[in-house]
Amino acid sequence: MRTAYELAVVLTKSQLRGYQRRRLMARIFGDPRIILVLDALFLVVPALLFYMLSGALPSGIEGSLRELEVEALAGIPTAIAFMVILFGVLSEISQAAESMSTDLVNWLPITPSEYVAGSTMSLTYTYSFMLSFLLGVSLGPALRFGMILVWGASALMAVLSLFIGACVVELLRSVTNRISSSFYKKSGRSGIFVRLALTIVVLVFVQLLFSGRIVVYLLQGIMLTVRVAWFVPVVWPSLAVLAGSQGNTLTFVSFAGMTFAFFLILFGLAVRLRAIYWVPIPVSIRLTNQAYHPLRRITILPGFGSAEAAIFRKDMRSLTRRREMTRFLAIPFVLVVSLSISLLPISGTAVPEGLGFFALIPLYVIPLTVFSAVVSMTSLGQEGSAVWNIYVAPITARQLLKAKILSALLLGLAFSVTMAIFLGVLLRIATAHIVLLVTLGIAIVLGQSAMGMYFGARFPDFREMIRSRFISVWGSLIGTFLCLLLAMLTALPILLSIYVRRIITYDFAIVTFAIGLILFFVGWKLAERQIRTLIQEIRV
Amino acid sequence: MQALEVSGVTKTFGERRAVDGVSLAVNQGEILGLLGPNGSGKSTLMKIIVGILKPDAGAIQVLGNDATKDPTAVKRIVGFVPESPRLYEFLSGIEYLDFVADVHGLVPSAKHERISHFLKALDLEGRENELINGYSQGMKQKLAIIAGLLHRPQLLVMDEPLNSLDPRSARIVKDLIHKLRDDGVATIFSTHVLEIADAICDRIVIMDAGRVVEQGSTGDLKAKAGTPGSTLEEVFLKLTGTSDTREIVEALSH
Repeated sequence: MRTAYELAVVLTKSQLRGYQRRRLMARIFGDPRIILVLDALFLVVPALLFYMLSGALPSGIEGSLRELEVEALAGIPTAIAFMVILFGVLSEISQAAESMSTDLVNWLPITPSEYVAGSTMSLTYTYSFMLSFLLGVSLGPALRFGMILVWGASALMAVLSLFIGACVVELLRSVTNRISSSFYKKSGRSGIFVRLALTIVVLVFVQLLFSGRIVVYLLQGIMLTVRVAWFVPVVWPSLAVLAGSQGNTLTFVSFAGMTFAFFLILFGLAVRLRAIYWVPIPVSIRLTNQAYHPLRRITILPGFGSAEAAIFRKDMRSLTRRREMTRFLAIPFVLVVSLSISLLPISGTAVPEGLGFFALIPLYVIPLTVFSAVVSMTSLGQEGSAVWNIYVAPITARQLLKAKILSALLLGLAFSVTMAIFLGVLLRIATAHIVLLVTLGIAIVLGQSAMGMYFGARFPDFREMIRSRFISVWGSLIGTFLCLLLAMLTALPILLSIYVRRIITYDFAIVTFAIGLILFFVGWKLAERQIRTLIQEIRV
Repeated sequence: MQALEVSGVTKTFGERRAVDGVSLAVNQGEILGLLGPNGSGKSTLMKIIVGILKPDAGAIQVLGNDATKDPTAVKRIVGFVPESPRLYEFLSGIEYLDFVADVHGLVPSAKHERISHFLKALDLEGRENELINGYSQGMKQKLAIIAGLLHRPQLLVMDEPLNSLDPRSARIVKDLIHKLRDDGVATIFSTHVLEIADAICDRIVIMDAGRVVEQGSTGDLKAKAGTPGSTLEEVFLKLTGTSDTREIVEALSH
């Protein structure tokens, strides 16, 4: 047990310190005790707030509030299990493959049960702030309505659920290792694309869960499911709380006992799988069986030599093959799905001329800018510790910029056209207006790709961590903010023409395109100068 | 013309002076061994020579090219094998070598010939289509060595290149370095295995605390040690102030 505890401490420190850079922040947020402080804050502050809030409400609705409080208390254990599983899966997706097989724990004398116990404790502790927040929110009304015993039962079952969720994540890790290994051995190149597609689906699914509408829908559904699906083990903690709230002690003890038994079974299963698939050995993926035949020199664009083409090809392969890069490819899908959810209720009606189109422009510009800026800002940092390959290569700043900006431009343009067509179909926009959107999109992609390259070269982050950022936090914040401002400046002529004239005209699109071009050239010059400085001396 | 001329090079990281006024030269067709304890500044000096670190002071000339003023020209004629190379793990071995060859502007026919030749010589044939993240450390090291040699460099800078290599591949690399010497290629070679340095280097430079403490042929160095029949290890330990290892071993064995 001592080994498991010590392992839990190490894993927690590894989780916390993987994200921190600055010394002061690392000192504060790198200490596992910070989670205890956060737990206390997340429990006490919402508790006080909701205690006062529930007292300030009219007494006539107390009955409904009591019912709502019971439902919330019963829902917390099930919700927390789902949240831990989701965050665990997301963290697993972002982890760089090479860091997994070299984990110290793989060759230290640690038994599978000690590892699973340690890892489960670490995961539970790391995500405990979410539980504290939910319990804090429900504690205030519980105190106000004299339901502290039910709250206690909910807290007990929620802690158990937290452990259940952590055990499920452990199971998923082992199963993922197994499936990936077998799958890749047989599938080769196609396996890479299947993994890419599955990862995008998971990310979109997670986004859906965090959409306000979907969450409300789910919360309503959870309580319905809890009552109907009593045979599903994940809802047993909630059923125990419901029984407790009705004073049915025997049912409460039964469901609580069954939940505990379920946890033990999951833990045993996780230990067994961990024992079988102990070390996640990276699988040798054979991409092709064909003999090597070098390609003829590819000159994609005038002035685009073999070095630029080689870097471009490498970056494209990186985008589809690296697990930590998948999230960038997922951005357009996530944004389009989110947008669809917010627009769907009005999809039956066409957008009116003038101000309707005016309101649509930010919906198009913001996601496109974020995507273009993120893709270009991270394109240099994504080289990671292999960046020395670029430093020793006989290439100039301009060659590197050309190669890097091409991938950002291509991805941005593909997204801008797809999104304009998607919006056009969804909102039944006239074809001419779609053309206007595409023009705006091209102008924005041009400007933001070049500006993003500057910020990427100014604030690169080549460190490979659990969740690599590829750009410093400040660089990312400043870059995204300025890119959004510049994108709005680019869209301004079109917005002004619609606002002033109340009709959509196309002459101002030329001004917009000109602004996009100017920003591209300014960004190019800034980026080239910054890359020249960057490649003078390696930073890792 | 000398292949490499380093004069008064200094490099400081924070308050630590990693390289302190180092001067050395390597002739064309010469193999120079760079020896020194951990942290003596060997790797930093090599990174300065290949142009990926900027010296705070001093000058580096590679076959008449100023490495600080025109690093791109230097990179065209230098091959570098770093200590523990990090490769693009998402590429296959062949894709990685193809990338390096393209970056150096090799024409397809030369690329095909050179890559196929090296893959066969270093026993990577048949594994070249697999992703690098499934390679062993030794296989990655072989790829890095091939990458450093693909473009026929005039100066080869190798930081502990034989690490993780199997005996056969290590022998091939050593023989290859000798063969390249015959073709006029200069090599700087760092290693902690003194027998290797003794066997393959024409001249040796010993560094300690960022400075060159001695240089010369192995025979010269052994003679300077003052004891007839000294080994290179004894010379090295004496010059780097770590000769009295018995006390340390005694303390460790308790």
